[in-house]
Amino acid sequence: MNLTKSLLSHNKWFTLKPKLTGIFIFLFFCVIFSLIISQQYRIAQKAKDDEMSGILQNIHKTIEQSLKDNYVDALTLALTINDKGIPKNFEAVGKQILANNENIDAVQLVPDGIIRYTYPLEGNEAAIGINLLKDKKYRHETLKAIQTRKMYFAGPFELKQGGLGILGRLAIYKNNKFWGFSAVIIRFETLLNNPEIKSIDHSRYAFQISKFSSITQKETFFLGSNQKPNPKNTVTAFVPDGDWKLYLIDKQPNEFFAAYILKGVLGFITALLIGFLTTAFFKKPAELEKLLKEQANELLKNEIKFKSVFDQAAVGITYVDTVTGQLLEANKKYCDLLGYTEEEIKQKNIITIIHPDDLKKSFKNFEKLKKGIIREYSTERRHITKSNDTIWIKLTISPLWEINGIPTNHIAIAEDVTERKLAEQVILDSQKRMESLINTIDGIVWECNAENFEFTFVSKKVESILGYTSEEWLKTPNFWVDHIHPEDKDYAANFCVDQTKKLKNHDFEYRMIAKDGSVVWVRDIVNVIIENGKAKNLRGIIIDVSKNKETEKDLNNSFNLVTEQNKRLLNFSYIVSHNLRSHTSNISSIVDLIDNSESEEEKEEMIQLLKSVSDSLNETMLNLNEVVNIQTNIGIVTEQLNLKQYLDNTLAVLADQIELKGIKIINSIKEDIEVIYNPAYLESILYNLISNAIRYSHPEKHPIITIDCYTEHNKTVLKISDNGIGIDLAKNGHKIFGMYKKFSTHKDSRGIGLFITKNQIDAMGGSITVESEPNLGTTFKVYIS
Amino acid sequence: MTEKTIWVVDDDPIYQIIMKKIILKSGIFSAVRSFSNGKEAIDVLRSNILKQKTHPNIILLDIEMPVLDGWGFMDEIATLKPQITGEIQIYISSSSIAIQDKERAKYNPDIFGYMSKPISLEDLVKISAV
Repeated sequence: MNLTKSLLSHNKWFTLKPKLTGIFIFLFFCVIFSLIISQQYRIAQKAKDDEMSGILQNIHKTIEQSLKDNYVDALTLALTINDKGIPKNFEAVGKQILANNENIDAVQLVPDGIIRYTYPLEGNEAAIGINLLKDKKYRHETLKAIQTRKMYFAGPFELKQGGLGILGRLAIYKNNKFWGFSAVIIRFETLLNNPEIKSIDHSRYAFQISKFSSITQKETFFLGSNQKPNPKNTVTAFVPDGDWKLYLIDKQPNEFFAAYILKGVLGFITALLIGFLTTAFFKKPAELEKLLKEQANELLKNEIKFKSVFDQAAVGITYVDTVTGQLLEANKKYCDLLGYTEEEIKQKNIITIIHPDDLKKSFKNFEKLKKGIIREYSTERRHITKSNDTIWIKLTISPLWEINGIPTNHIAIAEDVTERKLAEQVILDSQKRMESLINTIDGIVWECNAENFEFTFVSKKVESILGYTSEEWLKTPNFWVDHIHPEDKDYAANFCVDQTKKLKNHDFEYRMIAKDGSVVWVRDIVNVIIENGKAKNLRGIIIDVSKNKETEKDLNNSFNLVTEQNKRLLNFSYIVSHNLRSHTSNISSIVDLIDNSESEEEKEEMIQLLKSVSDSLNETMLNLNEVVNIQTNIGIVTEQLNLKQYLDNTLAVLADQIELKGIKIINSIKEDIEVIYNPAYLESILYNLISNAIRYSHPEKHPIITIDCYTEHNKTVLKISDNGIGIDLAKNGHKIFGMYKKFSTHKDSRGIGLFITKNQIDAMGGSITVESEPNLGTTFKVYIS
Repeated sequence: MTEKTIWVVDDDPIYQIIMKKIILKSGIFSAVRSFSNGKEAIDVLRSNILKQKTHPNIILLDIEMPVLDGWGFMDEIATLKPQITGEIQIYISSSSIAIQDKERAKYNPDIFGYMSKPISLEDLVKISAV
């Protein structure tokens, strides 16, 4: 603001008012010019006057001279008068005088005032005899000549002989007695026929002679106009010898006037021009000055505006010395923020009002600002108010020095964000609480975009469930899909996409691969967040159900086991029921028949029959007992057994039958194969399967039994194949291992062998399969775990 | 009273003997034949058709038998039925008390009835009277 003021005050008035200045300059020059011109004029006039005076002086002198000459002449003439008072040689002297002085027209001697002698006489006869003292016309002047005792020139007057003439009279005293006069007549023309007069530039000057008559009190002019010339334009000289007044009249009194008027006009124009030029000269700066003034005004207005913006701003603004940290200025809002008055705040250093915890950061920023690393920065920091409260302020700091300049001051714009900060803190706290709550949930809480399946949140639980961190999950594209078990990937991904499309919340289970490569069974409960009828987000929770799965698996196994057991038991109960019933019904019928027997023979026959029923029943009971023993297999002893050795034993037991039927045994079992098994079971299984193969050999074929052993899926597989009669599995497959299921009418068929074999294998945790084609043969595979 | 013929199809030899005794005692049937499984019975039935011999009036059929069991026999009968002249009354006679067997018998139109063992003389009289 001071700058603007000084800018305005340095102006000179003349630069501001070019017109006035022009007028002043014009007037000044007018005065100067008029002074010069008038001086010149005066000088010229003086010169003229002097010239005129000179001319007149010269004329005057010549006239005086000629008059003096006339005096001499008159004296000369007087000298002709002898003592007796009679002129002698008057004629000759007169002639001589006339010859010597061409001005003289005639000479006279006038004794006692009476004209007696005249030379030349011709032409002047009329004058002879005139008594000058008595003639009124001449008397006055004649007397004057006597009075002055000098030569006095009378006239001009009309000469008797014609023309104007001047009569110079010299009173002559002879012996102190008035004698008369010696007179010379000078023709006026002759007098005027003076070189001085003649040399007058008649175009400029006019010569005039006048005589003031003391009698008539009138001035008589003799040349030209009888008018009295204007004394202003005239120089005069007085000739006392004749009481004449000589005039030199300026014919062109205004001779210079026109010239000087012209000069004046020129001067005026020049002054005008100078004035105008001055105006023009000052006008440009004035315009600039005006512009400057306008701009300065504008600037001032802006300054006022900004000042009021500064003062009235809704944000705090302060002006700080960057080097010292001293607060230089602050607006009201800033003062209000901190609770200080404007005066107090100006005493403060910024360091004293920043919260100690934020000082370090502030210093860092400050250093950066000072070094020019940053040109501006915004920050949020705490300040301490006068009342020692802490407030949060959002600051924008802008330096007021040029880029790469030396740090001077900066402006800080401050906004109170305490409430927001507090609210943020509350939100942050609640977010933290939420997050910690979420993180305590025993499952991976997640959120993802429904369109691109980009995950936006994954809770920390992922670490304990999958071993990956949330960050790893979030920053890896397709993390979810890529970490689903390959076998479940398509199903899980498609299911999720499909359900999302249908806007259906869903709940599904799949396996994921953890960081350590282990398989984790998870249940994913997904909520579809719908916005404007479209799936926007998916939120869900992935729960580790591996344990459940294991339990489920165990349960399933137990269930299967129980079901199997149940099935077996049911089967067993059927077997028991069927077999026992068939025997009891037979007994019942036989007893009936015995009761109704008509003869002893018949009775005996029936009793024999009853006996065989009893045997059969016994056998059945034994079989059932065996089965029960296998099925209640608690505490079966297992030990390491050499397969080959057991097989050889079995073949030795069956050697007779093999030989009898001519069966070829192909035994590929290696000697080093060991199995963990119950010895009795292994014996029984081998015996049953091989004896079956022998029993059902094809009568039309050369029977071959192939025995092999290999490993499949970590299980030892014992394979026993024959080329016997085979079984139609399509019809009987489901009951091949059932009790009392006989598939032939072979006499040794008991329908119990395979049933027991299966039970034994099951009891050892293994399994048995059968492949068979009627007339082609049968293959049994025993899986030993 | 026309004398009927009866077949007993059962793999239990003691039962066959018993049934033969009872049938003879009843005096209702002019002839009795027994078979130890379904296949034997169906083979004879097939040859009877070819030889245009008369068919038995009643067959007592066991379910559990080797080679061809009772149900297998019924399936075969169903295929032969168009060629069989006259009516053969087939009764299931089983020691099975399984409800499934009874149900299955009930829904087979070719089966006349289900008789649980033991079969008494009175039972025979009853069925022969039908």
